[in-house]
Amino acid sequence: MSMLKYMIRRVFQLIPILFGVLILIFFLSRAMPGDPILAHLPPIFTPAQYAARARQLGFHLPLWQQFFIYLGNLFMGNWGVSISINRGQQVWELIWERFPRTLDIAIFAIIIASYVGIKTGVIAATHRNKAKDTIFRGFALIGVSIPIFWLGLLLQFFVSYKLGWFPAIGFKDMHFADPQMVTGFRIIDSIIEGKLYLVGDYLVHLVLPVFCLAFIFLATFTRQTRSSMLEILQQDYIRTARAKGCREKDVIKKHALRNALVPTVTIIGLSIGGLLGGAMLTEITFNLHGMGELLLRAILDRDYYVLNAIVFMTTIIFILVNLFTDMAYAYLDPRITYQ
Amino acid sequence: MKKIKEQTYQKEMEEMIEEEKKEGTLKSIILWIFSNLKFLLIPGSRIAELSQRESDYERMVSKRKFIRRLKSPLTIIGILIVISIVTLAVFGHWLAPYTVEEADGIWPNVYGPPSPTNPLGQTNFGRDILARIIYGARNSLTIALPSITLSVVVGVMLGVIAAYYGGWVDTIIMRIGDVFLAFPALVFAIVLVGILGRKLEVIIFAYGILGIPYYARLIRGSVLQARELPYVAAAKVAGAGNWRIMFRHILPNSIQPIIISFTFDIGGVILSFAGLAFLGYSDPSLIEWGRDIDIGRGHLVNAPWATLWPGVMILLTVLGFMLVGDGLRDALDPRLRNL
Repeated sequence: MSMLKYMIRRVFQLIPILFGVLILIFFLSRAMPGDPILAHLPPIFTPAQYAARARQLGFHLPLWQQFFIYLGNLFMGNWGVSISINRGQQVWELIWERFPRTLDIAIFAIIIASYVGIKTGVIAATHRNKAKDTIFRGFALIGVSIPIFWLGLLLQFFVSYKLGWFPAIGFKDMHFADPQMVTGFRIIDSIIEGKLYLVGDYLVHLVLPVFCLAFIFLATFTRQTRSSMLEILQQDYIRTARAKGCREKDVIKKHALRNALVPTVTIIGLSIGGLLGGAMLTEITFNLHGMGELLLRAILDRDYYVLNAIVFMTTIIFILVNLFTDMAYAYLDPRITYQ
Repeated sequence: MKKIKEQTYQKEMEEMIEEEKKEGTLKSIILWIFSNLKFLLIPGSRIAELSQRESDYERMVSKRKFIRRLKSPLTIIGILIVISIVTLAVFGHWLAPYTVEEADGIWPNVYGPPSPTNPLGQTNFGRDILARIIYGARNSLTIALPSITLSVVVGVMLGVIAAYYGGWVDTIIMRIGDVFLAFPALVFAIVLVGILGRKLEVIIFAYGILGIPYYARLIRGSVLQARELPYVAAAKVAGAGNWRIMFRHILPNSIQPIIISFTFDIGGVILSFAGLAFLGYSDPSLIEWGRDIDIGRGHLVNAPWATLWPGVMILLTVLGFMLVGDGLRDALDPRLRNL
């Protein structure tokens, strides 16, 4: 019960943060020079035409009034209408066309990175200062220091162009038609339509971007797991477990790893924010037409509502993931309680 | 745990004494015994000179320990890399085969392969890649160092104040920090560059601001622990003012995590700045690695060298700072001492 109370209190603490982010992005985006109303007008226009357009789009009001109107609409579920990217389209629809692809590579990457990262971290810690440890540490160090877009370009050059194993850019073969959009997620849509070859085609296109993104985060997770495992393996209760005749596998898995996972889970939770940024860079490098490209266009074309909506969404995801990370502690370490 | 510490300390002492013996031979030991005879014969005799010598000796031992820990081969590689990058940044004018104007000029043989005059090949407008990656080092460091200094100075001040006073000061500072932590970093940098123009100072300022809440949070944790220690109460009793306690007593004792994080974050800022430049948001008058990768990207197939070398430089620079950071953490972090 106290867990539920704690969660409710945390959610209430998150509201001011969300509010602050919205204020910041709304006024920052309006401070950018440039006027999206001009895109709606013919090259030669009269001031009256301009005023009419501004009134139509709601830009004639003072800025703070516009902000509260926007806020009200947001809470009613109305995310506004695109001003300049795709004039008149609902922002919600525009984002939902793009967002699933970014989410797909982010989810695949985070699953692969956490699984492999924890595994390699444990192996490196148990084989401390041996060949395996050195190799994993070396890879982890390179993974932390490599620019993600450059890794993507290298993969495109060597794996796609020289070896020809995977397609270099895009998310589909141009000869295939798109499946009917139901959920927006291409894999689910293709299965609903029964065209399994589309799923295969999509997955083949995702291999390089997912590898690219996973490699970067794998490195962080390996390093964190290794160092916390090393610390835990020094503890008295590990010696006790070994002394009482516990199998080495159980000592590592049940006694050591469970305790070592708490900081790793924190790092995984914190890296979700960076993951979305990294996913955007990756997806721009691989030309996947995802959120990152939409974001850049929204900033370039001064499409305020699209920009605000993207920031709003990424912030909500970041905040929720942090909340779930806190929840995961209680599962991993029963000593942690929430008051 | 404590026992192990004592044992290792004794071992260190024995090693030290043996070293002394090897160096000083019997003569110095006899001299030492004679000069300190009265202290050996009269137990409990303490004069200022001897205590001074004792503390000097202990200081020397701990200093040697620190240096010995820094002497791992990986850390030395890291230090060498950092030194060579700094050398390139400072003495670039003498080391590069072309001047800045020539490296930014227009030459024949666009995207030419490596040749005697251009050892690493040529990029757009036939510019020499070797010269450009040397000048790029300077710009990377002139952005990374000031921006991190800004975030460390402001972040540490705010963090110490928040943790020391607590209450509503703490709440306000940390809540505003939370907003910036939840805000997508890439978007903040791009929008700020959009508002204030593509200038060097703006990019430094943007990354400086983004780092502030992170450092504030980091130091807040250790100040909260230090605040309850007896020496703070002692300083208060002695009549020290709040500012004196905060910045003369508490801060020097809780600065360690900041020093470690500082070295790691230089690499991190260089990486994110390269990402920003890759997306086209950097000062167009500067020679910059990320932008060079973006330029070479369009000719990946026929001129891979234009993409390869700037990325290698980013990788090396960040790797150097990460290695130094690893070494510093191993040497400074008390939890890792006995590993």
